Amino acid sequence: MSYRPLVLLGAAALSLSLAACSSSGDSGGGEGGRTGVDVWLMRGSVSAAFQKQFETGFEKAHPDLDLKIQIQEWNGIGEKVTAALASNDAPDVIEVGNTQVAQYAQSEGLTDLSDKVAELGGDAWVKGLAEPGTYEKKQYGIPYYAANRVVVYRKDLFEKAGVDASKITTREQWIKATEKVDKGATQGIYLPGQNWYALAGFIWDEGGDLAVNRNGKWQGGLDSPQALKGMEFYERLQALGKGPKDSDEAQPPQAEVMAKGDTAQIIAVPGAADIVTENNPELKDKLGFFPIPGKSADKPGAVFTGGSDLVVPAAAAHQDEAYTMIKELTGDAWQKKLARTMSYVPNKVTLAEAVNSEPGAAAMAIGAVNGRATPNTPEWAAVEAKNPIKNYMTAVLTGGNAKSEAAKASRTITGALAGGS
Amino acid sequence: MSIVHEPGTPPPAAAPAARRRPRPPAGRPRASDRNSPWAYLLIAPAVAGMLYLLLYPLARAVVISFQDFRLRQLIVGDASFVGLRNYRELLGDARFWEVVRRTFLFMAVNVVLIMVLAMLVALMIERLGRFGRTVVLGSLVLVWAMPVIAATTVFQWLFHSRFGIVNEVLVSLGFSSYEGYAWLAHDKAAFAIIVTLIVWQSVPFAAITLYSALTTVPRELYESARIDGAGAGRLFRSVTFPLIRPLFMLVLSLEVIWTFKAFVQIWVMTKGGPGDATTILPVYAVQTALSNQRYDLSSAASMVTVLLMSGVLVFYFRQLFRQEGEHL
Amino acid sequence: MTTAPVKTAAPAAGSRAPRAGRGRPVRWIRRSPLYLAATVTVVLCLFPVYWMVTTAFKPSQDIQSYDPRLVPGSWTLRHFQDAVSADGFGLFWRNSILVTLSAVLLALLVALGAAYAVARLRWRGRRQFMLAVFLAQMAPWESLIIPIYIISRDTDMLDRLPTLTLIYFMITLPFTVVVLRGFLASIPPELEEAAQVDGCTRLGAFRRVAFPLLAPGLMATSLFGFITAWNEFTYANFLIIKEQDSRTLPVWLSSFQSTFGTDWGATMAASTLFALPALIIFLVLQRHVTSGLAAGSVKG
Repeated sequence: MSYRPLVLLGAAALSLSLAACSSSGDSGGGEGGRTGVDVWLMRGSVSAAFQKQFETGFEKAHPDLDLKIQIQEWNGIGEKVTAALASNDAPDVIEVGNTQVAQYAQSEGLTDLSDKVAELGGDAWVKGLAEPGTYEKKQYGIPYYAANRVVVYRKDLFEKAGVDASKITTREQWIKATEKVDKGATQGIYLPGQNWYALAGFIWDEGGDLAVNRNGKWQGGLDSPQALKGMEFYERLQALGKGPKDSDEAQPPQAEVMAKGDTAQIIAVPGAADIVTENNPELKDKLGFFPIPGKSADKPGAVFTGGSDLVVPAAAAHQDEAYTMIKELTGDAWQKKLARTMSYVPNKVTLAEAVNSEPGAAAMAIGAVNGRATPNTPEWAAVEAKNPIKNYMTAVLTGGNAKSEAAKASRTITGALAGGS
Repeated sequence: MSIVHEPGTPPPAAAPAARRRPRPPAGRPRASDRNSPWAYLLIAPAVAGMLYLLLYPLARAVVISFQDFRLRQLIVGDASFVGLRNYRELLGDARFWEVVRRTFLFMAVNVVLIMVLAMLVALMIERLGRFGRTVVLGSLVLVWAMPVIAATTVFQWLFHSRFGIVNEVLVSLGFSSYEGYAWLAHDKAAFAIIVTLIVWQSVPFAAITLYSALTTVPRELYESARIDGAGAGRLFRSVTFPLIRPLFMLVLSLEVIWTFKAFVQIWVMTKGGPGDATTILPVYAVQTALSNQRYDLSSAASMVTVLLMSGVLVFYFRQLFRQEGEHL
Repeated sequence: MTTAPVKTAAPAAGSRAPRAGRGRPVRWIRRSPLYLAATVTVVLCLFPVYWMVTTAFKPSQDIQSYDPRLVPGSWTLRHFQDAVSADGFGLFWRNSILVTLSAVLLALLVALGAAYAVARLRWRGRRQFMLAVFLAQMAPWESLIIPIYIISRDTDMLDRLPTLTLIYFMITLPFTVVVLRGFLASIPPELEEAAQVDGCTRLGAFRRVAFPLLAPGLMATSLFGFITAWNEFTYANFLIIKEQDSRTLPVWLSSFQSTFGTDWGATMAASTLFALPALIIFLVLQRHVTSGLAAGSVKG
C-alpha cells in the first residue's frame, strides 16, 4: 500500500500554490505606474490589425494610460455584461448593442454621459445609434458604429458561373443567380438556419413585422400571411447551400466558413469581408458586395439597422480615463479609419463621405435607405434573450409546419413582450 | 454547479470501509474522550465552511425569493420585500408546471435507464474472468473520469448535423433521412441526446457501486440456492437482489437527485431548447435569472425545486440511516 | 445478461482458478453472449473517448468529410498546436490545476480533522454534525450562484481564484469527511494506542500508524475531489468576470467553440487536453479508485 503518489501530488500542489502567490497581484492597475483602462469590445467589432493600430495610437497620445482591450464572445454576453455591471470593479468601457442600452440604463448600471454630448459632437450622430442610447432623456450610450447587412459574394465564382452580380435587382433574379452558382463543390449561398436578421428583412419586404402593436398591446407577428411569405423565401434561399439549419451566423462564424473557399455568398455586414480575407488572404480582391435585393427592382430589400454604442459602467474605476477612450474611438479621426477598415457606417452623418469610395459601404448605403429596427419596446430585449424566432426558423427548415410553428413562436413573443416587467 | 450531476462523486455510503464488516468493538470512540474539547477544535473549520459558504448563501437565496429582485436590485441593492408575490406568480404560470412535469419525466427516463443498465453491467462484470473484468472496469472508470464539459462537447460533435459520425453511420445503414439531420433542432431528438449523454456518464458510477455490492454476497448462498434448483432469474430475485437492495436503493436515490439537478450538460448543449424541449427545473431557474433578469422568480423556482427534491431526500436519508445508523 | 449461467458467478478472485482448463471450448461457446455483452459495453464506453482523441489527430480535410474513417488515415499534431497556442491556454491550465489542487488539499486537511473527531472522539453534537455533513452533500449549488455572487462582490472576492478555491473546497468537503470517517472507523484504535505506549505522541501515533492505512481513502477522495473541481464550470464562468487571465479550463473550453468556429479538430484537441489529467490519474490509480469506492471488497 503506497501513498507516495498522493504525497507527490500534495508537494506539487503546494509548490504551485506558492508559485501562484508570488506571481499573482500583478493584475489590475497598469504597467509602470500607468492607469489601466479595461475595454470590452465584441468579436467582429474590430479586426486584429485595427485593434493593434488603435492601441498603439491611443497609448502614444496618452502615455499615462494602459489600454487593455478584451474581445468578448457573443455567446452568453448578456450574463457577462450583467455580472460586470453589478460588480464593484467593472470594465471601464463596454460595447453593447444599441438596443440593449436602455435596459442597463434603467437598472442604474451605467454612467450618465449627457454632459459630454456636445463635446463629442452629438448633434451629428446617426439617429439609429444615438436614440437607443438614451433613457429618460439622458445619454448613456455613445454611438460607436452602425451597419446593415449586404450580400458579400465571390466575384470569381460568379464569373465562372456566368452571373453578373450588378444585374441582380430583384429577389427572383437573386434566386436564379444563386441556383446557377450552386454547382458542384460550390455553395450558392451559406445561409445558416437561424439568421433571423435576414428573415426580418424578408418579412418587412412582404409588409409583415416581427411583432405589431395593437391598441397598446404587443403581439408576435410571425404568423401573419406576409411574415409566412418572408419565411417561405428564406427557405428557398437557404436550400441553395449547405448552411446548418440549427445554428446562427455566429456559430460557426460565417466569415470563417466563407474563408474556406467554397462559399459563393453570405449575408453579412460588409466588414465580414475583412475577416474573410484575414483568414484566407487568397480571397483578397475576389470579394464583392451588392445590397440585399427587394421584391421589385425599384426598392432594395429592407434591412435591420444594427450597431453598437459604448457605455461606461457606473461601477467602473476609471471614469475619466474611460471617457478619454470613448472620445478617441468615437472621434472623427478613428471613426474614419474604423469605417474604412471595417466597412462600417461611421457614427456621425458628417463622416459618411469617408467611406463613399468603399464598395461595401456603397452597397450598405443603398440598403440603408430601407433600414428598419426591431419592435420599439424595452421588452424586446427579453424576446431576443430567448429568441423564439430562431427556434421557429429551424423548425420550419427541418420540415415543421410553418403555420403552426409560426403561431407557436408568435405566442411566445407575445408572452415575452407582455411579461418581463 | 457542475456538481449537480457529478459522476466523480460517489455516495457517502458507498465508501466507508467498515460498513458491512463486523465492527471491532474497540473501534467505538472511547469513553475517556467524552466531550473532548479537541473534537470541537477539529470540526471548527468544517463547520465554519458549512455556515459561511453554504448556509449563509442559502439564507440569502431564500430572502431574495421574497423580494422584488431584478437587474436594478442586483446593481444598486435596494430590494424590497413583496411577500409571496414571486411564488404566486411562479405557481400561476402554466409554463412552470409544464417544466415541472418535464423534469419528472426526464428524471424517470434517466433513472430507469441508468439503474437497469448499471445492474446489467454489474451482473455482467461479476460473471467475467479477471481479464474481462479489468477491461470493463477500466473503460467504466475512464467514462466516469471524463470531465462533463469535455463529454458534452464530444457528444455535440458525435451528433453534429453535417459531419457527425452518428448521422454518417445511420445513413450508411440505410436510414437516408438522417442525412444532415439536425438532432438538437428537434424536440424529441434533443431530449433523447441529453438523456443518452447523462445515462452514458452516470452508468459507470452506478455499475461499479452495484458490482462492489454484488461481491459482498456470500457465495454459499448461491450454492445452496442452486442446489435447491433455482434458475438464474429466480436466483437474482430471491437471493442477490434482496442482499444488495439497501445499496441499490441508495444509488437509486442519488441518481434521482443528480438527474433532478442536471444542468451543465443541458445548458452547454441546448440552453433548454429547442423551444422548451429540454428545459427542466434547474435550467428554467437559470433562464429566468439570466435571460429575463428575474432573480427573485428564479430564486423562488429554486426553492420549489429544493422542496420537491426534499421528498426524495427524506427517502435517501432513511436509506442512509438504515445503513449508517449504528455509526452515528 | 441475467440469463448467463450462474455457475460462473464467482466474485471472489481466488475461487476461480480450479475451474480453468476444464472443458474450455464448451465454456467459450456457452459464455459467448457474456463476452458479446462485455464487448458492447466496452465499445459504448470507449467510443466517444476514442472519437474525441482520433478527431483531434485527424487532418481537417478528413474531419470534414462525408466519408469518415474509424481509424485516421494520416495523423497530425496541428490541432494540438492550435489549441495550445490559443490565447492563454497555458495560463488557464495553470489556473485550473492551482484551484483544483488547493481546493482538494484544503478539503483533505479539514476533513481529516473532522473525520478524526467523529471516528475517534466522543462529544456532544456528533450525530448532528454528521447529519449536517450529509445534508451539505446534497446542497443545491445551482441555486446559490446569485447569492454567492453578491456575497463575493460585497467582500471584494470577485474575479479572484481563491474564491473558486473556497467554493470547490466546500463542494468536495462533505464527501471527503464521510469517506475518511469510514476509513478511520475501520482502523482499530489499538494500533495507535500501542504506538503511544511505545512512546509516540498521539499525533505521532496517528501519523505513523493510522495515516498509512488511510492512504486508499485519501487517494479516492482526492481523486473525486479533483474531478469535481476540475470540471466545475458555472461558478468559474460567473465569478471570474474582468480578469480573463483568471479563467479556468472549463470556461475556456466552452468559449473555445465560438472562437474556433468550425474547427472541430482543435476543439477536440482542446477537449482531449482538458480531459487528459483526469483520465490519466484515474487510469493509473484505477485500483485505488475502485477499492476506495468498494471499500476493499474489489481485489482486481
